[in-house]
Amino acid sequence: MKSRKIYNRIAVLRQERGLTRKDLAVIIGVNFQTVGYLEREEYNPSLDLAFKISEYFGLPVELIFSPKPLKPLSEEIMEIKNRFKGGQ
Amino acid sequence: MTKEISRKQNRVWILLNSLSLIAGLVLFYGVKIFNWSIYFLLMEIFVLTIFLISFYKAFIITKFWKMLHTSSKNLDEREMQVVLNAIRYAYSIFAIICLIIIYAFAIAEYKPIDVVLAGALLYLAHALPSSIVAWNEDAYTH
Repeated sequence: MKSRKIYNRIAVLRQERGLTRKDLAVIIGVNFQTVGYLEREEYNPSLDLAFKISEYFGLPVELIFSPKPLKPLSEEIMEIKNRFKGGQ
Repeated sequence: MTKEISRKQNRVWILLNSLSLIAGLVLFYGVKIFNWSIYFLLMEIFVLTIFLISFYKAFIITKFWKMLHTSSKNLDEREMQVVLNAIRYAYSIFAIICLIIIYAFAIAEYKPIDVVLAGALLYLAHALPSSIVAWNEDAYTH
């Protein structure tokens, strides 16, 4: 079975925190080459690894991974904010 | 770009390794079965040298041999997936190669499978998964 491509924001989040691929690899317990494959979206992580990543960045899984191409995080936050305002 | 070149270079070493193994066997059995000149055995030394150098370059420097022969505890989930896929393909290829050799020996009515061929097959069984991984991956660093 061919799995669909999963987009992610790992590269942006890692750079924001000033981490190297090796640093992140040690934190999430994989080889640093795997971090490269994840960032290039050439490998879909397991659910366990996706949760490890989201726990480390302190963000919900759906903000880091998506089956659709991801918008910039700032745009996404604005949309959530507007949605929240509209709801009120 | 550098990654592309290194993967291409590694593919060349893998091809050289496989070809030198085949050439070594052809020369050995050429002398043994078809009574080729003994000078072909001297060529065998040259072929063996290429075989050893290409083995070192393709599998030892890149650490692909280690990747395929280490405990699964030392691999992460992506590496495990890569290794298992390679073993799956290698199993099919190895089975086909064994069948071809058995048929070839049966047709040639050359009965005993001697220690050279057994050794070559043993090497191939170990090297095939490493070759498949090395063909598709960048150098393994752990």
